[in-house]
Amino acid sequence: MSDRFEAASGRRIVSRTSAEELGNLEHLVVDAKGLRVTALVVGKGRRALVVDWEHVSGFGPDAVMVADESALHPPRDDRERAAAGGKLELVGQRVLSDVGNDLGPITDVVFDPTSGVIEAFMIDDREVDAAALLGIGSFAVIVRASAE
Amino acid sequence: MRLLVTGSSIRGLPVVTIGGGEDVAEVRDVIYSPEAGRVVGLTLNKRGFLAGRCREVLPAEMIHAIGRDAVMIDDEDSLILPEDAPADVGTPPSGRDVTGDEVLTEGGTSLGHVRDVVVLVGTAGQVVGYEIDTAAGRTGYIPLSTQLAVSGSALIVPEATADFVRDDLVGLGAAVDEFRARLRIR
Repeated sequence: MSDRFEAASGRRIVSRTSAEELGNLEHLVVDAKGLRVTALVVGKGRRALVVDWEHVSGFGPDAVMVADESALHPPRDDRERAAAGGKLELVGQRVLSDVGNDLGPITDVVFDPTSGVIEAFMIDDREVDAAALLGIGSFAVIVRASAE
Repeated sequence: MRLLVTGSSIRGLPVVTIGGGEDVAEVRDVIYSPEAGRVVGLTLNKRGFLAGRCREVLPAEMIHAIGRDAVMIDDEDSLILPEDAPADVGTPPSGRDVTGDEVLTEGGTSLGHVRDVVVLVGTAGQVVGYEIDTAAGRTGYIPLSTQLAVSGSALIVPEATADFVRDDLVGLGAAVDEFRARLRIR
């Protein structure tokens, strides 16, 4: 069963050990080459924390489960700091085809909550298969022209 | 449908890497070769707050496509220093600018003066026509034939061109194929 970024946004992060809520899901961080979710950002601003995907024990429809509080850590490098600040957020990012036409912003991302693999992007009602993706950058997401 | 744009509307477009999704420069100007009938390269400006001329140029061979909203390249290595670029891009000969040149048919009719080149979108810079100021003082568009004499001040075009002067780019798009078909028959 697929999940979506917009639906998952704000979902609570719960410790399996203490059953306490540790925060709310703010961003999903995607690795452009592997085309999968590599980390989650919990909370906003200076207090935003990062959870590596390996430390997610269950990405469920109502809560994201982690072993305990130690799964959350402050951003460790520039990429994680950018992610924590929401600068790597895919939803809202401009989409360009490889022939240079603007297709509009990404409105949602479809992914497999078990593996973290990205399956497709939504541009309004249009679904673009992840296989058409050529690159993800700070300026734009690039897709094959056949996806136009 | 053919999508056509004028050279001036390419200026300012971001130059974006396909693999990285980064805007590494923006188009400063189009380097056009009237003999080749195509854009041979682009000069560049820096992006963002550091705006200003970029020393690197972008030869047409390195352009993946000139689009409606961006110029796409494989990666940042496509931007090269003028001394490493083909001569017609690195050090374009002066006096090659066709802007302002008179357009004369083989039969000696003046169709007007060149204002800009018209580029086929989605290519590396194929020029399919010219935007001209017509003798009547209006804006017109003429298709470009491959066989074309060029001097410093005038372009000689086939007589048939006079029948294919159009009022807008959409009209030119339709005229290009028809014009080329007619020339091939003769």
